[in-house]
Amino acid sequence: MPYHQFDCSVCIPERLHHAVDKNKGEELTDALPLGYLNTIPGSISERGCAYCGAKHVIGTPMKDVIHLSHGPVGCTYDTWQTKRYISDEDNFQLKYTFASNMKESHIVFGAGSMLKKNIIEAFKAFPKMKRMSIYQTCASALIGDDIEATATEVMEEMPDVKIFTCNSPGFAGPSQSGGHHKINLAWLGQMVGTVEPEIYSKYVINYVGEYNIQGDQEIMKDYFYRMGIQILSTFTGNCHFDDLRAMHRAQLNVLECARSSEYLCDELRVRYGIPRMDIDGFGFEATSDSLLKIGYFFGIEDKAREVIAEETARWKPELDWYAERLKGVKVCLWPGGSKLWHWAHSIHKEMGVEVVSVYTKFGHQGDMEKGISRCEPGVLAIDDPNELESVEAMYRLKPDVIFTGKRPGEVAKKIRVPYLNAHGYHNGPYKGYEGWVRFARDIYNAVYSPIHKLSLLDISKDEIPTDKGFETPQAFSDVKLGDEIRNSTELRKCTSKYDPIPALREKLKKNEYLFPDPVTGELKQVPYEKLMKNTVVEVNE
Amino acid sequence: MDKKTAEEKMALLEHYITKHCLWQYNSRGWDREIQNERILSKTKKVLCGENARENDSTADRYYWSEAMTLAEAFKRYYPWLEETSKEDIAEIMQMLKEKMDYTMIKGSLNVELIKEQY
Repeated sequence: MPYHQFDCSVCIPERLHHAVDKNKGEELTDALPLGYLNTIPGSISERGCAYCGAKHVIGTPMKDVIHLSHGPVGCTYDTWQTKRYISDEDNFQLKYTFASNMKESHIVFGAGSMLKKNIIEAFKAFPKMKRMSIYQTCASALIGDDIEATATEVMEEMPDVKIFTCNSPGFAGPSQSGGHHKINLAWLGQMVGTVEPEIYSKYVINYVGEYNIQGDQEIMKDYFYRMGIQILSTFTGNCHFDDLRAMHRAQLNVLECARSSEYLCDELRVRYGIPRMDIDGFGFEATSDSLLKIGYFFGIEDKAREVIAEETARWKPELDWYAERLKGVKVCLWPGGSKLWHWAHSIHKEMGVEVVSVYTKFGHQGDMEKGISRCEPGVLAIDDPNELESVEAMYRLKPDVIFTGKRPGEVAKKIRVPYLNAHGYHNGPYKGYEGWVRFARDIYNAVYSPIHKLSLLDISKDEIPTDKGFETPQAFSDVKLGDEIRNSTELRKCTSKYDPIPALREKLKKNEYLFPDPVTGELKQVPYEKLMKNTVVEVNE
Repeated sequence: MDKKTAEEKMALLEHYITKHCLWQYNSRGWDREIQNERILSKTKKVLCGENARENDSTADRYYWSEAMTLAEAFKRYYPWLEETSKEDIAEIMQMLKEKMDYTMIKGSLNVELIKEQY
């Protein structure tokens, strides 16, 4: 695999070893891009900071928590719209964002007393909230504010509250990945093992590295519940603070996004002997294999097969409708960390799209190993690209669509390449069977939207056709199809509702799930209230 | 089975693992060694119709679950496995283990593999 030299980066020679072309017959041992290194000065990176990785990616999806940034108010930017990790408790964690609002005077005279005042004020403003996470930022870290000492003082004065402190200022790592690491270990050290949970099923997992983007966790939860599995905690999407304190009692850690939370799983394996099982919730085959191996672990593979069969029968004809129309579509798969390997093979195999490039903003070499392995030959793999490299790659590879974040996505749109939001999604959830069909629908709509054809016309010089009627995506996509596919009565378009999550929550309310008693094995219903919020007991009480 | 045929069949199994599995990518070399050893040796036993469970620990159950799922997929993708003798399966799986160890550990260019702490 030769390293790839971008024309725009000739003047930054260190960039050479951050991109490779995967050719036929070549292996990972031939070349691997560097990764998880400090961004090279002069290279305008698209990365986030370590504070962002700790708070905005991992911390904030916790739903019953006041998330307070000890720093300038601007650090709290990512809430509604930019992040889409929803919850089933009215999205408190998205609606409200808190900062201690540090100013220049605090840098000079200290901000500890102001922080304490703000913590108490926040708890008083939201009296039902008894849990808080405080995140260090660059400003407060540089002046040496001890957020842990302040939190301890408040907990002594307000014994009914619990505060988690996360010391991951923006500069504490090359990228957001440094923050993932720090908050993983901080949570483990401060919080895990401080409560004992109620165990109501024979089969108990932690679902780790899952952030409930547009409802991903709730789709997967339905499958696990149908298998009778108790989800003790989800790290951290749609999860309660206290459930995450009870992670030590699971029998298995089911790990989805290894990039953001493998550290926690590895440490839980070392300290508590809980195995780590990496899964893929994206794609039909990957989801099926994942459910099956979880089933094998608990001896309930028959239950897994039931779920797989039901879901496949329900959604496969819809996936195939899109697959027929997406064959040969060229994609740049440019997410942040884990989706380059979660998606690379599944979108190619199950939707027929051709991945022409993968990149990762904050992935490590391990992510590149996975991503490159799962791609076909001919792919350009890039670590931590700068904006000029992305543009150069798009001009050279001419993708039909790119999957990336909203900032590079806007750059793509400027050169008339449609993009899908790989982080927050367009019309998610994308996980599970239904989610995968929704993803296929979004790709289809992105690629075949008539707007892209119109956008190529320059009204200042091009002739605008007035003799054509209204064009639809299907008018473009079906041109290349044979009659057999075009008129198929078996294949059908996505029938998933605009928002499938309310129906899942309604199903939870109806309480149709049965869990085997941990002692007797007898199947029984668990009260809805307990499914919504498990009981935990403080260890020191 | 001659060596060339065994190598070709091994390459097919390796290709499947490359595209579908994640267990071989744990972030440290010593961890990858354990994963390769436990999961592939159990997969071999499952494919040869032998008992692949060693004890009732959750760790053993985990490796066995990965092995069962992998063996099932191997049989689905490569029906020739059903007609392959136990000796030949053992040989192919041994080659596979050696190849995985090389690609993922000994020949890997991933510099994180030698870090001591997670």
